[in-house]
Amino acid sequence: MDIDDILREVDPTFHAIPQEKRDLQELTRAWIAERCAPELLPWPANGLFERIDDNIKRQIEKVEEMTGDMDPKTNFALIVIQTELERYRYLVRSYLRARIAKIDRHTLHYLSTDDLRSRLSEMELAYATHHQALLHNHYLSSFLSSFPANLQNLNDASAGISMIETPDLESAVFIRVLKNTLVQGRGVDTDDAVESDESDIMILRWADAKPLVEAGSAELV
Amino acid sequence: MPMYGDLGNKLVQHAKRTQNLAHLPPYQTELVRAVTREVRDLDKDVASLLEPFQGSFDPSADQATACTLLVNHLSMRRNKRCLLAYHRTRTDKLEELVWKGSDVLDLAGQQGGGTNGASAADGGGSSSLSPQEEDYVRQYGDLLAAYKGQWTDIDLTGSLEPPRDLFIDVRVLKDAGEIQTEYGAINLTKNSQFYVRQGDVERLIAQGYLQKLG
Repeated sequence: MDIDDILREVDPTFHAIPQEKRDLQELTRAWIAERCAPELLPWPANGLFERIDDNIKRQIEKVEEMTGDMDPKTNFALIVIQTELERYRYLVRSYLRARIAKIDRHTLHYLSTDDLRSRLSEMELAYATHHQALLHNHYLSSFLSSFPANLQNLNDASAGISMIETPDLESAVFIRVLKNTLVQGRGVDTDDAVESDESDIMILRWADAKPLVEAGSAELV
Repeated sequence: MPMYGDLGNKLVQHAKRTQNLAHLPPYQTELVRAVTREVRDLDKDVASLLEPFQGSFDPSADQATACTLLVNHLSMRRNKRCLLAYHRTRTDKLEELVWKGSDVLDLAGQQGGGTNGASAADGGGSSSLSPQEEDYVRQYGDLLAAYKGQWTDIDLTGSLEPPRDLFIDVRVLKDAGEIQTEYGAINLTKNSQFYVRQGDVERLIAQGYLQKLG
């Protein structure tokens, strides 16, 4: 959500914007954020993807209806709709693939606590659980089963190093500030705090940017 | 003289090289077996070293033994990491191939002829996959198909390049037979050229039947 959304909510003409358009905006924003953030972001819980799925189905039906029509005018409209449909599909595909890539990379981490599990959609959770089971089974049948019993775990934390890799929350991200706010960042030598204005763009650690993004004061770019 | 961890190191080098290869090199059955054996031997050593102490071992009283135990302990864990890294690198590669839609098992068979497990075990020019890996590919393929099946209208394995044009020029590299599109059937014979809808032929481009032009 950015400042425009907030203004729109108090604006009486807000409901003039069709739901489809708002969904597309939300999807685009979720897609950009997901591709920029080093860790998995929560799955949108407000039924966004059910609506998107319906929209795409409706458009496909429309395309099928119009295909029979030989009028050149419909033909042009058809191309526009199909192009838009391909782009819409691309957004959804790229978004889902970005998430799957992150889940595959740190499966055990995202399955380790309830809080982290809640970020995954039901389908993703099923996929991740199943995938991890397959991997573990593969390790077992390839070599792990002939190991001494105390070495067969995949989640040891011996010598203070956990076997479970976690995403690097300290990696750098770019954010655009949406509300005038105080941005605090930790540096290598000193920490810094900057009073920032709307539409400023800055680079900082994801761990520092996360609270701002969650509060809606900034968005990832 | 070979030292603890030498073999594990070799595995990691294999894994590192695999990362930059387009195909999957043969599975190092012997090496994996040797590293696993080393772990078991080390574990036996630890058990026999500790046996005379009956569970009352005091590291500060017998520092030489304590040091041996520590080295053995760390070597075992290091070998485990090497094995895990080696297998994970390979499964990552296999998953990538599954996502691309290439028939991994078929491909492995073509490289040497015959994917049966017994001849694959010696790694001598037959399948580059271990029997366990073949199982894994099959199961992962099913898992991916199940996940994809919930997004029927999206085609999750489609191109990750942002679409620019609805229609593209393609040249046919291999005979692909006849395909059905909304604009009728097209017969894809070698060296012919078509102006088609990208969504209709994406699969064929990925499989190497068609080449995108321009």
